[in-house]
Amino acid sequence: MATYPQNFRFGEFVGSLIWLILWILIIVTLVGLPLIFIVLFYIPLPPIGNQVLTPYLFLTMMVDPSRTIPIIHQLMTTDLFRVAMFPGFTYAALIAAVTIFVERKFLAKMQLRIGPLYAGKIEGIFQLIADGLKLIAKEIIVPSGADKPMFWAAPIMFVSTAAAVVALIPAAPGYVVADTDVGLLAVFAILGFFPLIALLFAWASNSKYPFIGGLRALHQMIAFEIPFILSALSVVILSGTLNLTGIVDSQIQSYWFIFFLPISAFVFYISSLAELERIPFDLPEAESEIVAGWLTETSGMIYGLLQLGSYVKTYALAALFVVLFLGGWAGPMVFPPQIQTPIINIAPLYDQQAANATLWFTLKTFGVIMLMLLPRGISPRIRIDILLHTGWYKLIVLAFINIFVALALIYGGILGPGGLLVR
Amino acid sequence: MADPIFIAVAALTVGTAIIALEARELIYGAVALAISLLGIAGFFLLLDAPFVAMFQIAVYVGAVAVLIIFTVMLVRTQALFTTKEDKKRKGAGIALMLIIMASLGALMLSSGLNGQFGNFGGSQTVNFTQIGQLMVTYYAPALIIMGLTLAGAVIAALALARREDVEQQHERAD
Repeated sequence: MATYPQNFRFGEFVGSLIWLILWILIIVTLVGLPLIFIVLFYIPLPPIGNQVLTPYLFLTMMVDPSRTIPIIHQLMTTDLFRVAMFPGFTYAALIAAVTIFVERKFLAKMQLRIGPLYAGKIEGIFQLIADGLKLIAKEIIVPSGADKPMFWAAPIMFVSTAAAVVALIPAAPGYVVADTDVGLLAVFAILGFFPLIALLFAWASNSKYPFIGGLRALHQMIAFEIPFILSALSVVILSGTLNLTGIVDSQIQSYWFIFFLPISAFVFYISSLAELERIPFDLPEAESEIVAGWLTETSGMIYGLLQLGSYVKTYALAALFVVLFLGGWAGPMVFPPQIQTPIINIAPLYDQQAANATLWFTLKTFGVIMLMLLPRGISPRIRIDILLHTGWYKLIVLAFINIFVALALIYGGILGPGGLLVR
Repeated sequence: MADPIFIAVAALTVGTAIIALEARELIYGAVALAISLLGIAGFFLLLDAPFVAMFQIAVYVGAVAVLIIFTVMLVRTQALFTTKEDKKRKGAGIALMLIIMASLGALMLSSGLNGQFGNFGGSQTVNFTQIGQLMVTYYAPALIIMGLTLAGAVIAALALARREDVEQQHERAD
């Protein structure tokens, strides 16, 4: 309970603010600036362009924004940028954050509600920030008798596994964290961790509802893993490579694979809904049956991390759909070859191909994400026996149909090396 | 001399394997086993065989470890332990393991395999495309026999499961 001082005066409030600013200034001058100079003088800095980065050049670059452009250009080629910024975690987390907000407004519009409205004046655009602050401020309650190490480790493992999937997905030509020859297999190998984490977390919660939810998650994810892999297999047959960049390149050379493999795309879409525990398949989190499924005992930031992980996973699977079936970053060129900006010339950073690829990749991924959000507004939850029956009997057969179609296309000389439809 | 990554992966694999055997809580043992299997995938990655490594992760961590954890969670732990732990048996087991490993290592080092592996260097890494080509050309009979064996096993498993199902229905009808 916060108590307000009885004799509150605005002048004292302003005075305390000025006092705070004074302290910050003193600390920066006495500690911050010497630290900067020690770093500048004693740590060897890389050459930028054709001149070595000296401390004085660095300081002028800090003052003049246009001179920092080479530094940013240098940073953009590093692995750290790939991992942390563009195709990596920040990009995925931003898309995840946008997805959470758009999902709420989108569902509200579908159900003739308003959705988030008050936070941030315009249509509640700051709702997510408010929710995030609330989750950070909340107490994390560990149930009594819970397995503490596993209870704490599982949410972090969940987020890092989702980020590991993101690391394998190319967002633009050359913009991929891990460009391995077996990229698609690696995606499925990493996706295999999720049932394990859900089950362990459910067990560690030491409660009945999470355990039931965890068992359901395990059943569901294992049942849908096989059609998931089989539907991607037909893409591998058509493109002749497991490398995700190679798959996109082979689609740019011919046509998008969704035109040849619509059934596979459908199976992949349904399986990814099941893998994500989204609404028609949200039995592990069925809130009207088993409280909140395997998330029942979560609170505060543990819940926040699991939600972040599941939305990053949504982005990863939507991006994988785009890479496998919708031609990745392929799209008509909309950016000019050169750009002029008024104050700071950012032309050295501008890359026409990469900008265009990023635009189309983001647009397509967001379209697929919207398609994944759509069933939540229109579909009820299905029964678990129907779910398992769908996974084991129907989707596997459907996936095999399109594998045979893909084989026919290859052996008929229509696609593949030297095929009719290969440009 | 030795690769630090190799030593780290080896320590992880062997350490978690020991934890898997010795852990008092069965569930920790199962998790340690999963990490140990991941370490083996790391060895495959170090050997330039990412294809095998990915299948190691997908099959052993994604399926086998999940099944083991599932079993451990559902079966009462008392039912699993019928014999008491014996210091002598444990020591004998460790000694036997050390003898087997040492003799195997000695055999490996003394045989011609050692030099043969040394000659490969890093140049002749086999990728999965070559494996696939060999599978459908030179090793095609072996592949067909393996496929038939697996198909037979799957059909047998289905038959076994089916019979149980029919009997249950029969009992319910009575």
